[in-house]
Amino acid sequence: MKSKWQVGLIALFLVLAGFLAGCSSDKEKNESAGKKGGETKGEQVTIDIFQFKVEFKDQFEAIAKAYEAEHDGVKINITTVGGGEDYGAALRSKFASGNEPAIYNIGGPQDVADWKDKLADLSDTEAAGLALDGTLDGVTVDGKVLGLPFNQEGYGLIYNKNVFEKAGIDPTSIVDFASLEAAVKELDSKKDELGLEAVFALPGKEKWVTGLHLSNAFLAPEFDQNVLTAFDSKTVEFKYGDAFKKVLDLQNKYSVQPTVSLDYSKQVEELFSLQKVAIIQQGNWVYGSIAGIDEEFAKNGIGILPIPVEGYEGDRIPVGIPMYWGVNSNADEAVVKEAKAFLDWLYTSETGKEAVVSDFNFIPAYEGYDSSKISDPLSKDVYEYSEKGKTIGWTFMGYPTSWGENELGVQIQKYLSDEATWEEVIDASKKAWEAGRK
Amino acid sequence: MRIRDLSYWLFLMPVLVALILVVIAPLLLGVYYSFTDWNGISANGFVGFENYTALFQDERFLDSLWFTTKFSIVSIVLINVIGLSLALLVTAKLKTNKIMRTIFFMPNLIGGLILGFIWQFIFTKAFDGIGSLFGIESLQGWLSTSSTGFWGLVILMSWQMSGYIMVIYIAYLEGVSKELIEAAEIDGANVFQRFRHIVFPLVAPAFTVSMFLTLSNTFKLYDQNLSLTGGGPYDSTQMVAMDIFRTAFSRYDMAYAQAKAIIFFIIVAVIALLQVYVNKKREVEM
Repeated sequence: MKSKWQVGLIALFLVLAGFLAGCSSDKEKNESAGKKGGETKGEQVTIDIFQFKVEFKDQFEAIAKAYEAEHDGVKINITTVGGGEDYGAALRSKFASGNEPAIYNIGGPQDVADWKDKLADLSDTEAAGLALDGTLDGVTVDGKVLGLPFNQEGYGLIYNKNVFEKAGIDPTSIVDFASLEAAVKELDSKKDELGLEAVFALPGKEKWVTGLHLSNAFLAPEFDQNVLTAFDSKTVEFKYGDAFKKVLDLQNKYSVQPTVSLDYSKQVEELFSLQKVAIIQQGNWVYGSIAGIDEEFAKNGIGILPIPVEGYEGDRIPVGIPMYWGVNSNADEAVVKEAKAFLDWLYTSETGKEAVVSDFNFIPAYEGYDSSKISDPLSKDVYEYSEKGKTIGWTFMGYPTSWGENELGVQIQKYLSDEATWEEVIDASKKAWEAGRK
Repeated sequence: MRIRDLSYWLFLMPVLVALILVVIAPLLLGVYYSFTDWNGISANGFVGFENYTALFQDERFLDSLWFTTKFSIVSIVLINVIGLSLALLVTAKLKTNKIMRTIFFMPNLIGGLILGFIWQFIFTKAFDGIGSLFGIESLQGWLSTSSTGFWGLVILMSWQMSGYIMVIYIAYLEGVSKELIEAAEIDGANVFQRFRHIVFPLVAPAFTVSMFLTLSNTFKLYDQNLSLTGGGPYDSTQMVAMDIFRTAFSRYDMAYAQAKAIIFFIIVAVIALLQVYVNKKREVEM
């Protein structure tokens, strides 16, 4: 009986020891990490940056090194969490652990509302003054600028220049729905000699393409193109619902079928890059995918056409800011000052500008950039549209949580499968918007 | 041995602690949260049964529940029929037994997510290619309608799980004593009669196990669903697990998702227990 006791005690001891070991190491970590947004030691200032864009991690770290070399006494630590990881959750746990970064990323109005108390006012920075019109709308609260734009992204109808040329269509003549429709019919009638499978490839499976991007072109005018108006709106009207239907119908009718299971890779890589379709609705981010398949075609054969909104304006493309830089207002004053200086330098100094355009391949969201330096044609088109002010703002970040994809996107799939009429789509989506705003 | 011996509890302690921490506490916490308006960050107050009453008017949830039920019934039948057939095949005296067992079991070794993508390719590319080559309309456009999505999932699941269920049947089939079969043979029973009256009742325990496994697996299916159809088109092939996940992590309606999960848990538990109880009664004791 006695030996049994002993074995039992040992087992219990081991379990408890395991738990205690687990707890104690956590504690140590927390204590050592009890600093906020970097530290000031004598002259040395450390800026902790917590960012989400995996694609430009290496280039960004290189530019941070260059900054450190130019500025004595400033050290920059960069942590990148993104790609498949959940940046929002990682940021929350970072703050919860007490190891707060000095510079971090925020997205749309929902993020601004969540993080408002931890965002410093950046309106005194040079970059804020140079930010393009409208790019600061989403992050301006009570006259305070709480974020600086990362870059711009834009989307529209990406077309194959070679096919247009062969068919004898002048892309600059497409400025409204009627001219687009005429061009599409023209292409459709010649599709055999042009070697096309169809004119469009509408990826109905990608609910973000239909529910977020396409819908934005028609909902933004209703919200004065301001993401905050959309964010505050209790209802949605679908004022340009008919124009929306027309563009969707046109894309669907002349698309490779069935559209509802067509996905991004089929649309961009299989069909468009191999020149089996003439037009796709996508953004400047597809440049990499196309260049990976046919570099020559990507460099010289593609351009962006506007998405025509009948009854509004037909020659605009939706351009917006996917992410913003925010500075932690809880950090030491010196750290906040240096963090602002770094962001200013990144977007306004000559070295910084050069890196933004050539190394990051960003479409700058600030004035004073030379658009001829932008290397890929889609980004160049987007920048030119935005400089001319021919843009529609991105309001889809102000839609109710998941409304764009899981409500409207799903309804559009129903419509594409003939399971619902357009009226039903609109009705259901309106109701879901109101429910989401309760 | 006395049950309330102190050393008895000491031995049990490690397991109990682990079980309470990772199973019981989260379950109770989940039940608690399902009565609040928790959004993942903070719970502001009790809402009583509001989440539960809303749930029974939620068309999306009811649709996914119905879809899951349909899917489970069809797959359970198919998986067990195919599994048993394969087991009979590989326990027959053939030279290729060993290799065939391995081959049939293999699909089960591939992760569900990968399988989904592989089959997606087969359905949308291979089927389509064959269909357009021979002009067979019904092979084109798979996964773009809810019925092809449904059958796609059924095929995928049967293909994956049959081999696993086969192994269970093999174990029981090999346990059937040769004397019984021989005796029946001498009595003049043909192959079918031998199977129906001797083998079938003796492998009944295998049905209990297989049914339980297939039922819980098909009901709680998530990864294959996600990678094959992603719920599309228009969420018509969305199963309950996926609906719960989306409610929680894309709409951030944590408390509501929690209520769905509790209802789902109750349904699965009741059906599984009922099924085991009924099947147990039918088993023959040797």
